[in-house]
Amino acid sequence: MAENWLELPGENINVQEIMRQIRQRIAAREEGESTEADEPESIAASLWEEVIGDRAGLAGLPLSQRECDIVPRGYVIEWRVPVLGPIHALVRRIINAEIRRYLLPALEKQSTFNRKVRRMLIDLIRENALLRQEVRELRQKLEQGQQG
Amino acid sequence: MQVHQFHPTVSFGDAVSNQILSLQHLLRQLGYRSEIFCEQPPFQFEGRTRLMQEYFRYSSPENLLLLHYSLGYSPQVLSWLDQLPDHKVLVYHNITPYTYFVGVNESYYEAARAGREQLKWMGALVEAGWGVSGFNTRELAEYGWTHLDVLPLVFDPARYKTRPDPKVMRRWSGRVNILFVGRVVPNKRFEDVIITFYFFKRRVCSDAHLFLVGSAHGMEPYLEFLQALVKRLGLSSSVLFTGHVSTSQLAAYYRCASVFLCMSEHEGFGMPLLESMYFGVPIIAYKAAAVPETLDGCGVLVTEKNHAAIAELIGLLLEDRTLRERIVARQRERVKVFFPEQMRERLATLLQNLTSSWRVL
Repeated sequence: MAENWLELPGENINVQEIMRQIRQRIAAREEGESTEADEPESIAASLWEEVIGDRAGLAGLPLSQRECDIVPRGYVIEWRVPVLGPIHALVRRIINAEIRRYLLPALEKQSTFNRKVRRMLIDLIRENALLRQEVRELRQKLEQGQQG
Repeated sequence: MQVHQFHPTVSFGDAVSNQILSLQHLLRQLGYRSEIFCEQPPFQFEGRTRLMQEYFRYSSPENLLLLHYSLGYSPQVLSWLDQLPDHKVLVYHNITPYTYFVGVNESYYEAARAGREQLKWMGALVEAGWGVSGFNTRELAEYGWTHLDVLPLVFDPARYKTRPDPKVMRRWSGRVNILFVGRVVPNKRFEDVIITFYFFKRRVCSDAHLFLVGSAHGMEPYLEFLQALVKRLGLSSSVLFTGHVSTSQLAAYYRCASVFLCMSEHEGFGMPLLESMYFGVPIIAYKAAAVPETLDGCGVLVTEKNHAAIAELIGLLLEDRTLRERIVARQRERVKVFFPEQMRERLATLLQNLTSSWRVL
């Protein structure tokens, strides 16, 4: 802990005394428990890696898996006219089936293509990051060599 | 002369929108005709704002247009501004460094990066830059801007003169509650607030609660991380993520709060600090960005994030009534500086300085 980690306002407030009290309290509490002061910070760091870390590698790729899939899977043409119900139901079934037969294969193909492109972009971003790292390290070695 | 304002969007509850509305009120009190123009149709502010396409009816070389800037402008806005004959001043609310958004929100990442790039040359498009804090003004100076000034955010107590939400009051009043208010974004370091609270609960006060008040819209991965952290630290029953709240709920959370704990690493101003001052909640804040300037000698500043020590400090503040009252009294004095009456004078002075420079030219 730094000497002056605390800034309190006012002439009547003894900051040194407050810091002394805090130090005393910490010491008293740590006597009675196992030392694990860094534990929550390291938990947070590993969770960050787990939840955000992988995404961080994809910075600059604003294309999610969901966006790749352009097939309207849940969509059906529907209308409700109670009097002519059976006829309408039949017409609706035929239209839905025909639209699916013509449209969905093309959309599925496009979605598969999108997913493949996304996968390739992810691989390229990762490879790019590795190459950048390699270049940085080589530059450092070069600079050290020049200095030496 | 008319003084109008522009911002790409105006919505309910965010600091930029509140400032725009407050400034409009003050400008009208000062006798200027003043309207608000947006790029996108406003949310919940129909009738109070106009689309930028309508500005041609107001545009004049005699007028001043205040351009509020908190993210980059679109190319359409930039070319529109370039054609306007009006005098223009950029009101800089700050842009969060884009590195905070890596892996969390790619659109924000891009917008923040583009916004900072634009700042480098936008000085040529406007006559002056007004930061909402000296911190923001200094950033503009680093980008080579000249003719800079500070116009802080207006704190209007009337906005908070609402009945605190009775449900929140009934549930949380009279307990030990730690509070932080702000959008759930990585630069505000919610994880540090949670870790400090972990120490506080474990070592100082086992039945304490932590309220994290603010919307996580667009920051879902970050929220997911925070919720996982809370769960892993065994704090699920003590930490409350409220999401976006109404003004009456916000007032209730402040009324129920024992301490306001801010661990943010990047604030262009920090409106929740003023809210805490107004509601008499002692502030403990990490000394970063515009925070020390907004507090200006009130509240408690910590220069390092020693969570165990900050937890003890919170405990001390709760026990030592005299210390607490001294801090709160200073805070109550400080917030008055940002009241509309004071800000009206400040605005009048800035406008006077600006127009007198026109006359010289």
